[in-house]
Amino acid sequence: MIRKILALLVTLTFVLSACGGKTGTTGGGLVTITFSAWGAPEELAVWNQIVADFEAANTNIKVNVEVSDWGAYWDKLKTQLAASTPPDIFAMDAPLFLDYQSRGVLLNLQPYVDQNPDMLKDVYPQTLSAYQTSDGYYGLPRDFQTIVLFYNKDMFDAAGMAYPTSDWTWEDLRTAAKQLTKDTSGDGKIDQYGFVFDQWDMEPGWSEAIWAYGGDIVNADHTKTLIGDPAARQAWQLLYDMVFVDKSVPDANTIGQYGGDLFQAKVAAMMPMGHWAVPGYNTGGFKYDVAPMPKGPSGQATSVNSAGFVVAKATKHPQEAFDFIKFVLSQSGQTRLAELGFACPVLKTVAESPIFLQQSGSTLNQQVFLDSLAFAHMKPVFKGYDEWASVVGDGMGAVWRGEADLNTTLNDIVAQADAVLAKNK
Amino acid sequence: MDYGTKPLGREKLSLWLMLTPTLIGLAFGVLGSIVATIALSFTHWDLLTPPKWAGLANFIALFNDPKLIKAFTNTFLFSLLYVPSVVVISLLVAVLLNRKIRGVSIFRTIYFLPAVTSAVATALVWNMIYGKDTGILNYIIESFGGKGVCWLCTNNVLLALIIVNVWGAIGEGMIIFLAGLTAVPREYYEAATLDGAGGSQQFFRITLPLVTPSIFFQTLMSTINAFQAYDYIYMLTRRGQGDSSFPVVVYSIYRNAWTFFNYGGASAQAIELAIFIILLMIFYLWLERRYVVYE
Repeated sequence: MIRKILALLVTLTFVLSACGGKTGTTGGGLVTITFSAWGAPEELAVWNQIVADFEAANTNIKVNVEVSDWGAYWDKLKTQLAASTPPDIFAMDAPLFLDYQSRGVLLNLQPYVDQNPDMLKDVYPQTLSAYQTSDGYYGLPRDFQTIVLFYNKDMFDAAGMAYPTSDWTWEDLRTAAKQLTKDTSGDGKIDQYGFVFDQWDMEPGWSEAIWAYGGDIVNADHTKTLIGDPAARQAWQLLYDMVFVDKSVPDANTIGQYGGDLFQAKVAAMMPMGHWAVPGYNTGGFKYDVAPMPKGPSGQATSVNSAGFVVAKATKHPQEAFDFIKFVLSQSGQTRLAELGFACPVLKTVAESPIFLQQSGSTLNQQVFLDSLAFAHMKPVFKGYDEWASVVGDGMGAVWRGEADLNTTLNDIVAQADAVLAKNK
Repeated sequence: MDYGTKPLGREKLSLWLMLTPTLIGLAFGVLGSIVATIALSFTHWDLLTPPKWAGLANFIALFNDPKLIKAFTNTFLFSLLYVPSVVVISLLVAVLLNRKIRGVSIFRTIYFLPAVTSAVATALVWNMIYGKDTGILNYIIESFGGKGVCWLCTNNVLLALIIVNVWGAIGEGMIIFLAGLTAVPREYYEAATLDGAGGSQQFFRITLPLVTPSIFFQTLMSTINAFQAYDYIYMLTRRGQGDSSFPVVVYSIYRNAWTFFNYGGASAQAIELAIFIILLMIFYLWLERRYVVYE
C-alpha cells in the first residue's frame, strides 16, 4: 500500500511541476518577461497599454504584467525572491531600494545604461540619485512625486480668504489654518479643520516642516537620526501647537474616526500631498488647487520621491528587461504614464509639455509639482528604512493622540531609531 | 473510546486514497511550516540572503523588545475579557433561541450574520458607530443628555474592541450551544417539571451540566481565536503605514517578518505564542477531566 501512495505522490509531483515555470523562451525566439508593480486597477489598464506599444515595437518580446495593491505587492515580491522566482522587472519605491540592493537581489543596470548614453539626459537628476550607488545604477525612476500644499477652494471662498501663495511661510499657514477651523453645525464640535498632515509617514507629513526649519531626518552616512535636533524640534513644536493649542489640526483620535483622507472627506481645508491623490480628488465633488509648500526660517522645502524599476539579478533576460525599462522612460512610455495622472513624468520633455501640464478635465496648477523640485529634499533612502520609519511613526502616535510629552518622546524615539540604523549598517 | 466501525481489507486502501490529498496538504502545508518555523527561529534570516545561525538570540530578544511585550500584554488582556464574554453570552443567546418562538430561524440568522460578513466591512461600520465626534453611539448618548465617550482612545479601546469581537463571535458560539442543547433529552425537563423544579433550577441543574462538553469546546475555540484575533482590531486601531494603537501578537509577527525583514525573530514570536496556547490547552484538558460531563 505504501508503494501505491508513493506512486500517487510521484504522479502528483509531475502534475504540479507541469503547472509551474512560466518565464522562459518559447518557440520561434519569442522571449517572455514578467513585470510586476503595485497599483490600482486603472493602472493595470495603462500598463497593458504601454506593454502593447512595447510589444508592437519589439515583436520578439512578450511582457506579462502583474499589478497588485501596495501591501500585497511587497509580500508577494518577497516570497517570489525567496523562492528564486522573482519577476524579471519589478517596481521599486525609492526609500526601500537599499533594502533590496544591499541584499544582492538586484541587477546592476550600469552596463546597459552605458550602452545608451543619451537615455538619461532628459531625466530630472533629483529623481535619479536615489537609485545611484557607488557602482552605478541598480534601478531607474519611472515617475516622481513632489509634495505640494493641496487646498480646498470652496472652503477658502466660503471664508472669503485669499488662496495660499508661493510666498507663504509656515506662520502664514498656521494663521490661515486657524481661520479655516470651524464649528459649522454649532454643536460645540469642530467640523472643519484648517490643516491636516500625515502623522505617521514623513512624506506627506512632517519632513517638509523639519527641512524648512533647518533640520534634517538622518545624517549623510545613515548613522544618526536628526529629528530630535534643536532645529527639527522647532518644526515639531509648530505642528504640535497647531494640533493642541490652535486645534486647527485634528489629533490622531479625531483623524481615526474618518477612516481615510480628510481632505477628500471635505473635513480639512489644506493638506500636504503628492500627485498620486489627484485622480481620487478629481472625483471628490469639490474645487481644489495646489500651492508650493510654505517657507520656514531656512527657506522653502519639500520632499521628492521617485518610484522606479529594478531588474532581478536572477533574470534570464536582462537585455529584454532593460529594453522594457528603456521604453517606459521613452517619450511614448512617459506620455502614457502622464495621461494616467497618478504621478509626474521623469522625462522633462513630457513633464514640461501640455501632456502633463494640461490634463483633460482638470484646471489643476500642475506646474507647482515641477517647480517644487527646485527646493525639494530627497525622501531618505537607507537600509532598514521601514523599521526606522515604524519606530518614529509608531512612537509619535502617543504624542498625536495627546498622551505623551513631545520632547521626552523625541528623546526616546531618537535612541531607538539610532539602534535600528546601527543594526542595519 | 471506540466509535464507529473499523474499515476492513480493501476498504482500508480506498480510505487511505481518499485521505491522501488532505494528508499531503497537512504534511507539506502545516507540518512543513511548523518544522520550518522552528528551524528559522534559530537563525537571522531576511528572506533574501541565506539564513545565518543565531542560536537563542531571537528568543532572548523576545524579553527585551518593548513592542512585543506591549503586544503580549494587549493579547492577554483581550483574551481574559473576550473568552468568558463569548462563552456566557453565546450560551444565553442559544438558550433563548432554543424555544418555540415565532420567527426563531430569523433571529438565529441575525445572530449568525456577523460570522459570514466581511470583518473589514463590518469594522468600518463599527468605526462609524464609535467615532467620538461623528459616531452614532455618542449621538445617542448625547441626545439622552450624556457626555460623549472617545471609544477608540487608549483608555477605552480595549472595551470597544471586546464589544465588537464578542458581537462578531456570538453567532458561531450560538451554533455550538444550540447543537449541545438539542442533545439534552426532553424527558429530563419533563421529570423536573413534575418534581416542581423552576426555570432557573432546571437551567443550573440540568442544562448547564449537560452542555459542559459544548462549554469546554467553545472555551477552547474562543481562546485560540482570542490569541489570533486580528482583523477587527487592526481595522479599528490602524494608523498610517500599518501601525496600530492596540498592537497584538499576531500583528507583531506579521510586521517583523514582512516589514522588518526579520523572519527569524518573527518565527521565535510565533513559537512563543504557540507555547502559550499549548500551555493553556493543557490546563483546559485538565479542567475537562475534572468538570466536563459526558453522558
